[in-house]
Amino acid sequence: MHFDDKIPIYYQIKNHIYHEIITGTLQPGEKLPSVRQLAVDVTANVNTVQRALSEMIAAGIIESKRGRGNFVTMETTKITDLKTQLVTTQLAHVYQQLHALNLSDEEILTSVQHYIERKGQAK
Amino acid sequence: MTDSLSIQNVTYKRGMKTILHDANLTLAPGKIVGLLGENGAGKTTLMRLITGSAKGAGDITVNGDAAEADRKRHVSFSEQLRGFAGNTKLTRIVDFYETVYGDFEAERFTELATFLQIDTSLKLAALSKGMKEKLVIALTLARRTNLYLLDEPFSGIDSMSRKKIINSIIQWKPENATMVISDHYVSEIAPILDEIVIVKDQTIYAHRQADEVREEFHIGIEAYYESLYERGNDND
Repeated sequence: MHFDDKIPIYYQIKNHIYHEIITGTLQPGEKLPSVRQLAVDVTANVNTVQRALSEMIAAGIIESKRGRGNFVTMETTKITDLKTQLVTTQLAHVYQQLHALNLSDEEILTSVQHYIERKGQAK
Repeated sequence: MTDSLSIQNVTYKRGMKTILHDANLTLAPGKIVGLLGENGAGKTTLMRLITGSAKGAGDITVNGDAAEADRKRHVSFSEQLRGFAGNTKLTRIVDFYETVYGDFEAERFTELATFLQIDTSLKLAALSKGMKEKLVIALTLARRTNLYLLDEPFSGIDSMSRKKIINSIIQWKPENATMVISDHYVSEIAPILDEIVIVKDQTIYAHRQADEVREEFHIGIEAYYESLYERGNDND
């Protein structure tokens, strides 16, 4: 995994795993690799991976079962909420950027629509 | 839990020249720590003080033990194998390590050698720089101890070897052991570091959590390290 060194590594690992859960690469109820294996997979430190996992456990997306390992939650509503949350974060970022260019809400909507249409034509 | 390493008010002079003064550092167990500083800043000296092969003023304990013999027992240092003649077979070096170090595990060495693709039937002089460094890493990590000191393990080796070495560190560092890796070029190892220690102005200038630096300053470890050096050298 390629890290951006300006962003905390635990945060990037967390987002990476959230991404895999939302896209279904990791299914509800699926067991995660061991902490050390995850560390090897993403080339990061075991403690950093553990911190990312602890935050995902606190958020209820990952469930830690004593002696059995870590599992993706079976509660799909939590995964849907997570997806909404991540989409909102991305949109908020784009919105702020466009707003900073003095675009009104209507203009933002129009330009997003326009962008999607043109993107479709380019294919 | 006992600290892996404690350095208190350590000063070391070579002749009239001060190499390190009033150095203080405490490392908890289970960490990977980057020891950063310019060439000649005193990184190797600090490691030699920890192992006891250099003697200065002040107090150093490893895993709570201050006596030199105990410290040596708790520390696995990446020796550069200068004591071995070029025609020594690697298997003989491995035998030597097994004899000298009670905590050297032959099985661990074999696993590491397989992972790092080291051909132990070769002679020392036949190894490329990268292969020799891999051998040093395998020998160092094959000991099961409390503190590992890797002195510039990545200098002058290709990126594939570097990746292999980084992976072997993640896989074989015992959970509660602490590892100190010195380097003057940090960006490749930055993601695996828990903490960074910066040697500057003949002392321990900074000791920070790596992710804390990213969170607080929104810059990479390399940029943070460079920014400290750009402030200039106080003692010049």
